[in-house]
Amino acid sequence: MTIRPASATLVLFFAGVVAVFSVSAPRFATATNIENLMSGFSFVAILAMGEAFPILVRGIDLSIGAIVGVVGMVVFDMTLIFHLPGYVVLPIALVIGALAGVVNGALIVFLRLQPFIATLATLAAYRGLIYAISGRQLVPGLTTTPIRDSWIIGIETYFDLGGRLGVSKLLTMPWFPLSFFIMLTVFAVLQTLLVKTRFGRDVQAVGGNSEAARLAGIDVRLVTVVAYGIAGICAAIAALILVARFTTSTEALGAGMELTAIASAVIGGVSLTGGVGSMFGPAVGAFLLGAVLLGLTLEGVPQFVQQITTGIVLLAAVGYDRLLLLRQKSGHAVGHAKVG
Amino acid sequence: MADPPVIRGVGLTKVYGNLVALNNADFSVGSGEVRALIGSNGAGKSTLVKILTGAVAPTRGAVEIRGQEAPLGDPREMIRLGVACIYQHSNLAPAMSALDNIYLGRQPVNRFGFVDARRQRRQALELLDRHGITLDLDAAVGGLPTVKQKEVEIMKALALDARVILMDEPTGWLANSEVAKLHGTIRALKASGVGIVYISHVLDEIFAVCDTVTVMRDGRIVAESAVADLDRSQVVSLMVGEKLARESVEATQHTRHPRGNGVVRLKARDLAKRGVFHDVTFDLYAGEIFCLTGLIGSKRTELVRTLFGADRFDGGVLEVDGRPTRFSAPANAIVHGIGFVPEDRHRDGLMLNMTVTENLAMATLDRFRHGFILNRRGMIAAGRQAIAALSIQPPDGSHAVKLLSGGNQQKVLVGKWLSRKPGIIILDEPTVGVDVGAKAEIYALLRRERELGAAVLVVSSDLDEVMTLADRIGVMVSGRLVAIRDADAIHIEDIVREMGAEAA
Repeated sequence: MTIRPASATLVLFFAGVVAVFSVSAPRFATATNIENLMSGFSFVAILAMGEAFPILVRGIDLSIGAIVGVVGMVVFDMTLIFHLPGYVVLPIALVIGALAGVVNGALIVFLRLQPFIATLATLAAYRGLIYAISGRQLVPGLTTTPIRDSWIIGIETYFDLGGRLGVSKLLTMPWFPLSFFIMLTVFAVLQTLLVKTRFGRDVQAVGGNSEAARLAGIDVRLVTVVAYGIAGICAAIAALILVARFTTSTEALGAGMELTAIASAVIGGVSLTGGVGSMFGPAVGAFLLGAVLLGLTLEGVPQFVQQITTGIVLLAAVGYDRLLLLRQKSGHAVGHAKVG
Repeated sequence: MADPPVIRGVGLTKVYGNLVALNNADFSVGSGEVRALIGSNGAGKSTLVKILTGAVAPTRGAVEIRGQEAPLGDPREMIRLGVACIYQHSNLAPAMSALDNIYLGRQPVNRFGFVDARRQRRQALELLDRHGITLDLDAAVGGLPTVKQKEVEIMKALALDARVILMDEPTGWLANSEVAKLHGTIRALKASGVGIVYISHVLDEIFAVCDTVTVMRDGRIVAESAVADLDRSQVVSLMVGEKLARESVEATQHTRHPRGNGVVRLKARDLAKRGVFHDVTFDLYAGEIFCLTGLIGSKRTELVRTLFGADRFDGGVLEVDGRPTRFSAPANAIVHGIGFVPEDRHRDGLMLNMTVTENLAMATLDRFRHGFILNRRGMIAAGRQAIAALSIQPPDGSHAVKLLSGGNQQKVLVGKWLSRKPGIIILDEPTVGVDVGAKAEIYALLRRERELGAAVLVVSSDLDEVMTLADRIGVMVSGRLVAIRDADAIHIEDIVREMGAEAA
């Protein structure tokens, strides 16, 4: 098990942020705001957990925001142009996401490209693809038509748990969005995959020391491709949540989300040097980032300052990651001791 | 010998570029046999091991396991066939637990496909118990001391239930008591019919635990024998070869200059870097060649990088020409007349896509500068001189360095620093991957610098090289400089003994 002790630190930090804003920001500790946090950042948490897999195998996926856009547009086309039913569209959307991820992995593994370069290239290519298949361009009349399929729209559902449990007379409970429960399900599945299965160990081994993994008979290439495929599936799930919310899709859907996802994963202790991390970290990391951004909004801080804040938080998290690594290095000769 | 050998290599040849690392080697190990594989560095032992484990595919030849032809270059299949290896370099995933590392890629799974953590732990504990090893299974491997990391590697091989275990310098990191324990384990494995290949520089260990010995030199197998039929001096002369043995005698005859002309250029007192090396005390004199030797991982590279200012030290005193110094960057060391030829010429030393002339001028660009403009004609003229002096082949400065052979690349690298006329020159493994002829030329260059009064510090793992070149020899063990001897007053076997000395 490699849940780093930072998990406890992370939760404490989260609690600290919540405490500070509860005091300083008006309406931060209200049911509405908690609802906003859950609906606004559950899909970010899903993206971050997906992004954690490429990072765990010592790579990165810059294209997941673009994959969100591609899947969103595919859903738009299939429902509004081809009138396919939602129960057909949903699995196809997931497969498209997985394929886009597998293409990333295959480029990295078979053409031996740097993950950064390969996914930067597919980021551009997928963004272009969105315009090529855009139903908004092909059938301009559909731009203002909302998606009405209940299978898709149903994703944007809220549950009044407080009302059902009968506690709403005592305190105001937020309504829980379905996306929050989807996020919990994704967490449970991926965390089990990572910790309880051979594949999960292989992922950590490949990221920790890929030559050792290869010599131990692990199929490093397959593990890598699957890791990127998982990131793609998570991007597809996030795309479905967003399309359900907007009841449409645009060419810009998902733009810049890779940055938020990477930031959340790194804040959550997924080491950029590979092989270290859990699913708990990215999920909490996403909500931590969300709490900071929502808090700043409530404080009346302008949007561009929030972007600067995201950047600073990312730098701080990466800096902390380096610090841990340096401390570990000075302690003992680690892994691949240098010849000498 | 009714049974076929547990593993057999037939006519194995491996060519890297224009270097023949392994030349038509036939090699076999029987069930219950412990075979020593010995030879100097670069003799081809590691290449042979890598072919047998499937880590690399041979250029020619075949591998058989228990009489059956095995696939080549497929580590997973070799593991399945029962071939395990303890590599010289650590092969662990540092962030994972000892338990997960032992079963890397092979964790037992239950019928739902989940890792059966309880069974995994039970098997590991049984294994630890059977071999009398104590290990914290839950500790992250990267945080364990080196000795424990080696034990994890040994456990990893044992957990495979292997029929053949290849051990590449398995005791390099272990203390004497642990070596004895490992030998006990080897005898137990032997009794259960496992075939073992044991690579070591420590002759005592070979006489203690091995049945048979295969000697390699320059990529060929030069002798095979029962250990009982050989004595130590025969083994040594087989390893280094008649010719080199003779040459090293000649080199000894040609006068050595311990402490050179008596002027101390560089003085280290209790130099230390936390967690890397400590208690390093020595003097480097003008007009001598001082060789630092030791096993891989004894931190020689780290030490000399510190002397050159590429890394910092955090304890002790370093004096250059009598003044305490603490270089903050290599540029400072260069100003003080120190030259450094790093170990990995591709990574640290040469601009491979640039020409020979440009590389030669790299350390002396100031001399060819008029204001901001470089004097190319001067550079080319100086390059032509250097190419002749170093006898670089082909003698054409406009070739890209990457097109040259390893030996000639190394000459360019050495020449680049010599052109600065450094008073102190540090070389880290100057002849690794270099053919015999170029080796001799590099030795001659270094001797010439010594005659001109330079203080020369050479890090080398190649004991023949050390014996050939050194005026004085320092031995490093686990980050400590444990012995300094005049080369005249020490034999190769004494060095080997010092190198294998118990790590404190």
